Amino acid sequence: MNKRSWRRDSEVATVEMQRMTKDFGARRAVNDVSFRVPEGAITGFLGPNGSGKTTTLRMALGLVTPTSGVALFDGRRYSDIAAPRRVVGALLEATGFHPARTGRDHLRVIAQITGVPDTRVDEVLEIVELGSAANDKVRTYSLGMRQRLGLGGALLGEPEVLILDEPGNGLDPSGMAWLRALLRSQAAEGRTVLVSSHVLSEVQQTVDNVVIIQEGTLRFSGSLASLGEASLEEAFLAMTAPHGKA
Amino acid sequence: MTMTGNLRNEVLKLRTTRTPWLFLGISQVLVVIGISGVYVSGADPYDPQTALTALAHVGLVSILSLVMGILGVAGEYRYKTITDTYLATPSRGKVVAAKVLVYSAFGAVLSIASTVTALITTLAWLKAKDVPMPASAGDLWQTAAGCVVWNICFAAVGVGVGALVRNLAGAVAGALLWIAVVEGLVAQLIGDNAKWLAFRSGVALEGLDSPSIAVLPQWGGGLMLVAYAGAFVAVALATSMRRDVT
Repeated sequence: MNKRSWRRDSEVATVEMQRMTKDFGARRAVNDVSFRVPEGAITGFLGPNGSGKTTTLRMALGLVTPTSGVALFDGRRYSDIAAPRRVVGALLEATGFHPARTGRDHLRVIAQITGVPDTRVDEVLEIVELGSAANDKVRTYSLGMRQRLGLGGALLGEPEVLILDEPGNGLDPSGMAWLRALLRSQAAEGRTVLVSSHVLSEVQQTVDNVVIIQEGTLRFSGSLASLGEASLEEAFLAMTAPHGKA
Repeated sequence: MTMTGNLRNEVLKLRTTRTPWLFLGISQVLVVIGISGVYVSGADPYDPQTALTALAHVGLVSILSLVMGILGVAGEYRYKTITDTYLATPSRGKVVAAKVLVYSAFGAVLSIASTVTALITTLAWLKAKDVPMPASAGDLWQTAAGCVVWNICFAAVGVGVGALVRNLAGAVAGALLWIAVVEGLVAQLIGDNAKWLAFRSGVALEGLDSPSIAVLPQWGGGLMLVAYAGAFVAVALATSMRRDVT
């Protein structure tokens, strides 16, 4: 890794969710969820649609105010990190783009406020394989290209932690294979990766650990191996079956 | 992250879309059409008030400044780029403050450019009619300055409205409906007290002699609009702080 001034020596970061709860009016979307994301590994954050994954991640990143509980990155709240995008790179579901901005300009806007040079924009465009479309307006991008542009935004600051909400949405099979390789290489460089999905086949060959939630409640948190003999799918279905009928 | 970083980032966001240039172009066209209308419709070209009325079309451009301010915030919600914005700057007050300053500056640029166009157009019509400029330089300056203040304040009001309403179409429609219809209806109900209303305060800022409607003195109109801008920005800051970004 080269040592330009804006890069910092990589540190291993811990991510901890502590008793996160969120009520939307009378509905409890997330109920007392606590888990720790092991550093330098890939953790799958799994649950059916509407189980509270996105709300949990948005709370952790200061976008949604928790009813109670806190998420800590190396002991700090996200909002207390001086240059947050240099520590935590996030891609959230339905992250948006101005349709008239080019892919490169979208990344330049984030790069400037993140405090990384435009040369990093070109590096990231290569990583997410959008180099040839960089000067096209985002409105011409396919869903998969937008997803890769969003990933590019998360990678810009070379963060120690990656939080990716359904990054596989819109990717075709080759895109999925590319994504798995990308996540693997990020973890191999010592990054902590938390990736949410409702499609088990997307993640089962990739993750080291799993966190499973259903109806806003934590069902399981631990290594993939500790699930034992059962396949991830069997375990998932058993844990997320309605009213415990499995 | 410094405030300067946020200011520069808002400028970069503006520069990487075409909307500001489009609005700059539209405002010049509006001013030329409006002023030509004054002279074509047979107003007395020797009357100093005719020249000032022509120049005062720069005040009407403030509607574009208002919409631009709304776009600056509600547009980020519309295209969901607000997620990236708040991820980079979790301190939302800083984001709103930077937008108020940058969009107010845009209002200034828009209206100063429109003032130049307005003066050239007015002088061209006077030359065509072989009439010397009847208005004093002092009066022209006063009207021009008032119109620039109107634009700056309306841009800031726009940022406030955009942050408050967040729905782009709703915010733009609501603001335009107020100016085109509602303020007029309210004015009929409250008689001379209508001089305290927002658009009427802008008309006061034009500094024309005896307009057909009740208005505050020019300085009073200026103070009222600064107060409106301050109130909208304060409400925007208060509501942006804890609202969930989903």
